[in-house]
Amino acid sequence: MTFYDIFQQTMPLLLKGAVITLELTVVVLPLAVLLGLISCLLGMTKYLKFISNIYIAIIRGTPILVQVFFIYFGLTQFLGIRMTAYTAGVISLSMNAGAYLSEIFRGGIQAVNIGQTEAARSLGMPYSSTMGKVILPQAFRIVIPSVVNQFIITLKDTSIISVIGLMDIVMQAKQVIARTYKSFFVWILVGLVYFVICYTLSKISQLIERRLSVGKNRN
Amino acid sequence: MAKIEINGLVKKFGKLEVLKGIDLNVEEGEVVCLIGPSGSGKSTLLRCINCLEHPTEGKVTVDGQRLTDKKTDINKARENIGMVFQQFNLFPHLSVIKNIMLAPVDRKKMTKEQAEKKGMELLARVGLADKRDQFPAQLSGGQQQRVAIARALCMGPDVMLFDEPTSALDPEMVGEVLDVMKELAKEGMTMVVVTHEMGFAREVADRVLFLDGGYIVEQGTPEQIFGDPQNERTKSFLEKVL
Repeated sequence: MTFYDIFQQTMPLLLKGAVITLELTVVVLPLAVLLGLISCLLGMTKYLKFISNIYIAIIRGTPILVQVFFIYFGLTQFLGIRMTAYTAGVISLSMNAGAYLSEIFRGGIQAVNIGQTEAARSLGMPYSSTMGKVILPQAFRIVIPSVVNQFIITLKDTSIISVIGLMDIVMQAKQVIARTYKSFFVWILVGLVYFVICYTLSKISQLIERRLSVGKNRN
Repeated sequence: MAKIEINGLVKKFGKLEVLKGIDLNVEEGEVVCLIGPSGSGKSTLLRCINCLEHPTEGKVTVDGQRLTDKKTDINKARENIGMVFQQFNLFPHLSVIKNIMLAPVDRKKMTKEQAEKKGMELLARVGLADKRDQFPAQLSGGQQQRVAIARALCMGPDVMLFDEPTSALDPEMVGEVLDVMKELAKEGMTMVVVTHEMGFAREVADRVLFLDGGYIVEQGTPEQIFGDPQNERTKSFLEKVL
């Protein structure tokens, strides 16, 4: 069997897996951003800060594989509920990325000079407008590169959910290998598929970044 | 009643006592300059007047409104007190005119059209009408500071606070900012100015306060302070800076 044969047989299956991977990513990212924002805002309060701190500590302190197993096997058993692998994947990946995004957002907000807050407050603007119209627009530009970075990490982290049986790229590859024993070539193809997706994503983000910095001078 | 009344003002940062009991009245239309060595508490005193720093003890009253009272709407009170910073602190993501329009429109003091009209008048007054659509980063330091003054004036304040407004400027740009401030003083604005520009203090101030170690050590007319200082610390400070 030549490399071309393997390519022909494997690629359609891998692409089918890629659809699952992308679909999962598209669902997870907005949820993660939402979780990250909520956690970040909680983190800036006096009394609810501990919620955000505990959340981030747990996610950062445990491997993502353990988190997926805990949600899919542990939590379902404890609560006596049934959950599809897909749902478990969405929950665990969103919670995971959300914690990291929360820290990225916090960093972005803190990176905006304190003088900006003082200027806005001295003009009589309340905290909420100061945040919404002065701090966040500046923080947004600062965090774009880190957020895109996290998006790409999360996209690759979806490969972990093959362990609970979702037919993503990795799971498809495992099945092909089980039939053909062509580990070397198949894993190269898997890498290639991921690479094309991630590389495209980072190029798109570069484009967005450039567009935004142009807007800064025109507006 | 004085425009600004400060009674028994104490400000501590943790264990560090920066202001140790300040009493100060500023009359309407008066220009008061605060001078003194760094760390003497001049900037802190200024920032206590609009409660950017919340006083640890004492009372601050501006225009009859007690700012140190918890029931006072601090945002409403600040609309009446303009502030200009050493580092300008213009909003870098907004054009010059939008920097000026942001607060009046946000606080619903003016419609967009009114704010733009008033903003353009103020820009013309500080000589920067042609820069309306530029971004702060495209302006020189002196121009940025003049925009910052216009931004503060657009809220229609009765009192203006200046925190070392020329300290971050190249020497050749100091004059253009001081000129704008002199104009304001002439028009009868109540001003409190922290400055190292002794020439400005001498020319424009009605009263000069020398601060050291958290106290007002000496105060008087510019002639008294610069011509015949009584306190030893005032004397040695002025010898070094003049």
